[in-house]
Amino acid sequence: MFNNKKTSRLLSSPYIVWALIFIIVPLGMVVYYGFTDKSGAFTFENVAAITSLVHAKALGLALLLSVISTIVCFVLAYPLGMILAHNKMSNQGIVTTLFILPMWMNFLLRTLAWLTLLENKGVINGILEVLHLPGINVINTSGAIVIGMVYNFLPFMILPIYNSLSSIDDNVINAARDLGADARQTFFKVTLPLTVPGIVSGITMVFIPALTTFAISTILGGSKILLIGNIIEQEFTLTYDWNLGAGLSIVLMLFIVVNMVVSAMADNGEEQDKKRMPSGRSGGASE
Amino acid sequence: MRSKIEKLYMGIILLFMYAPILTLIVLSFNSSKSRARWGGFTFKWYINLVHDNSVLNALANTLIIALISTIAATIIGTITCVGIMGLKRRSRTVLMGVTNIPMINADIVTGISLMLLFKVMHFETGFGTVLIAHITFNIPYVMLAVLPSLRTINPNIYEAALDLGAKPFYAFRKSVLPDLAPSVLAGALMAFTMSIDDFIITYFTKGSGFDTLSTKIYNEVKRGIQPEIYALSSIIFLAVILLLAASSYIKHRQNSLKKGKYLYKADRKISRGQAVALAAASAFIVILAMYFGGVFTRKNNQLFVYNAGEYLDPEVIEMFEAETGIEVVYDEFETLEIMYAKMVQDDGAYDVICPSDYMIAKMIENGMLQELDLDQIPNRKNIGEQYMEASRSFDPDNTYSVPYCWGTVGILYNKTMVDDPVNSWDILWDEKYSGQILMQDSIRDAFMVALKRRGFSLNTKDPGELELATEDLIAQRPLVQAYVIDQARDKMIGGEAALAVTYSGEVLYAQNENPDLEYSVPDEGSNVWIDSWVVTKKAKNPEAAMKWIDFLCRPEIALMNFDFVTYSTPNTKARELIEDENVRNSEVAYPGNDILKRCDAYSYLGEDGDLLYSNMWKKVKSGI
Repeated sequence: MFNNKKTSRLLSSPYIVWALIFIIVPLGMVVYYGFTDKSGAFTFENVAAITSLVHAKALGLALLLSVISTIVCFVLAYPLGMILAHNKMSNQGIVTTLFILPMWMNFLLRTLAWLTLLENKGVINGILEVLHLPGINVINTSGAIVIGMVYNFLPFMILPIYNSLSSIDDNVINAARDLGADARQTFFKVTLPLTVPGIVSGITMVFIPALTTFAISTILGGSKILLIGNIIEQEFTLTYDWNLGAGLSIVLMLFIVVNMVVSAMADNGEEQDKKRMPSGRSGGASE
Repeated sequence: MRSKIEKLYMGIILLFMYAPILTLIVLSFNSSKSRARWGGFTFKWYINLVHDNSVLNALANTLIIALISTIAATIIGTITCVGIMGLKRRSRTVLMGVTNIPMINADIVTGISLMLLFKVMHFETGFGTVLIAHITFNIPYVMLAVLPSLRTINPNIYEAALDLGAKPFYAFRKSVLPDLAPSVLAGALMAFTMSIDDFIITYFTKGSGFDTLSTKIYNEVKRGIQPEIYALSSIIFLAVILLLAASSYIKHRQNSLKKGKYLYKADRKISRGQAVALAAASAFIVILAMYFGGVFTRKNNQLFVYNAGEYLDPEVIEMFEAETGIEVVYDEFETLEIMYAKMVQDDGAYDVICPSDYMIAKMIENGMLQELDLDQIPNRKNIGEQYMEASRSFDPDNTYSVPYCWGTVGILYNKTMVDDPVNSWDILWDEKYSGQILMQDSIRDAFMVALKRRGFSLNTKDPGELELATEDLIAQRPLVQAYVIDQARDKMIGGEAALAVTYSGEVLYAQNENPDLEYSVPDEGSNVWIDSWVVTKKAKNPEAAMKWIDFLCRPEIALMNFDFVTYSTPNTKARELIEDENVRNSEVAYPGNDILKRCDAYSYLGEDGDLLYSNMWKKVKSGI
């Protein structure tokens, strides 16, 4: 199954067909729209429109905020993943679920709830006032959007990191300690490299939705802060210029390529690490 | 010590995760409909929920879609992951890249691209198309959960099982699946959660007459959420917690029965009995879904209505259905532009719509409406003559539309926060109120303010005048707290801002919740708007549409809608029935001629005009 090419193809073929019809073909349509004008003639204009000041600023801001959010998510999630993986108590399933549970309340409702919390006369400022502390003025700023992004996407970082941390064999860690590595060395030389796939998953799952969101920036940014997602959304729903919307989406899709390259590189690095380890794990390499 | 720090850290993150949830639960007991004000404790939203068919229907759809798409995505995703491991590195990378596309793409692009596909393939949009879309975007979540842990599994065990004579599937089930099960379950849980949470992809693939909870909420977000939705979310949340507690209790009991690590591990395997139960459950859900899917195909005596959010008393629909035997499928749109986009995609989706003046002109010009059969709408006589006359600006012969609500655009302000007289748009440029101003987040209304302030026409297409207005709006931007649509109401009630550009229809409700609020239509003039019912050209049930319009023109029905919506009714008979004299003669709801004289209606600007405005608006919004 792992090495048999025929079985592998057989197992992955249904999905390949599915992906072809429901991912590739629709995408082709977006590309078609992106490279044509309203009369159907070929044009580069829609894609080139990203260089206009308004669009470029929106893209830059979206990149900045999503990078910040991803970093914050990683910094918060990794220690949490370690705590969760470390405490191998009988209810660890519950503990993990605790972090997915909030997603069962609609995402828009939760984001709206942040509005009630963060507003100038909101709940948090009310509490601060009672405590005679200075209030915060964060609503309708980039800061509020970052809070919204971190809040909404943090579980996507926690879960894959936790998954890969908890599947590390304790013996590997113990062996490292036995062989004289200190805690720091064990972490950087053993734990961290082994969780690279989880980290890459997590970064993908946080960075991309953060980059393309428009609902969070609309609600928490007071519509004052325009991200690239807002622009594309407006082209499709407000201005009704699908060609321009599709053209800008194509630009956004370049990040798929970047992401693919980065994942492939991480994949590579990880497999080379495995080969260096004498534990026999390299048997998993298919080549 | 270390464990204390760990617990504290976890506690802080949990607080961060749960503070909004707690807020929503508190709001579900708030007797005020506004999220910005605590009006006392009540259970009424929970009681109302039982009767709210549209919310319950949306809930059923959400759950069925989530269940089926999760099961399908988990099966396909897991099988594919196993298959992928044996592929060449290059094909694996390509396939993973393709898989990531639905996650990486903006939801709206995925939604639109699928919608284009369904249109070309002549799929009827509805349950089936939403399901396909959800399976498509759920598969990556399953694969991203399963793949990392599949990589850490030692394949030698599987090989050994084969060497020892096990059949491949048996070997897989016994040697790989048990270790994989936690991540498969994690992936499935993630897929289910994502499905429940999605709204934009659903929105573009759902077609008419089919709603999930999130598309329903999306319609309401900007207008202010129906408190029943808070109640429903709280119930769902509680149910999930109870389920988890129950399952952990069962697990705990099993664990204390069997001791030893090995047995615990065996416990995680999926037994044959469980597998059969799972298969049976999925079959049951599929059958259920097919049944429900049948429900959503269009039946004979149905009327498809498309209206703005919270713009009609739900009881009116029930009364209409009871009287005529026509089943009403009622959908809500968030903005006129979204409504228009939807109608262009599928011009036969709705029979009867309630757009505003300039949009009606645009639809007439593009041949999207049909002339009304006035013989079937005798109650149109209840509409005041002045409103029919005003309608001529967008419907010259009064043949396409019947007025439903009308009003002005003006400034809602808080007396305790504003000490200057509010009689000019200039006050919205006064630095004194920096950070206290709410502007309308809609192109026409925002430009109207700037154009009127300079004394230009609100329908101008002169690039020079628009350039000036754009500069003014950009200069105003630092003073503006937020650009909002209907949220202005809640924010003003909560005292978040001092001044807001708002529709007169919001004022009565807002003043009720916060008596410090006042409304003024500035001296430079403003916009007077009319929302009217129209029938689409491709309507499949035009007779029912005429009956619907006639029904809404009855004085007692128009009064019910007025009480619910609080927007001024053009129905003179209904106005006479209003009991509260202060409301009936309200200067806000029924401004005198001196005010109306300085107000104009919007006209349709043409495609070039629309483009000009939207390009300028983008500049304003991004501040360049």
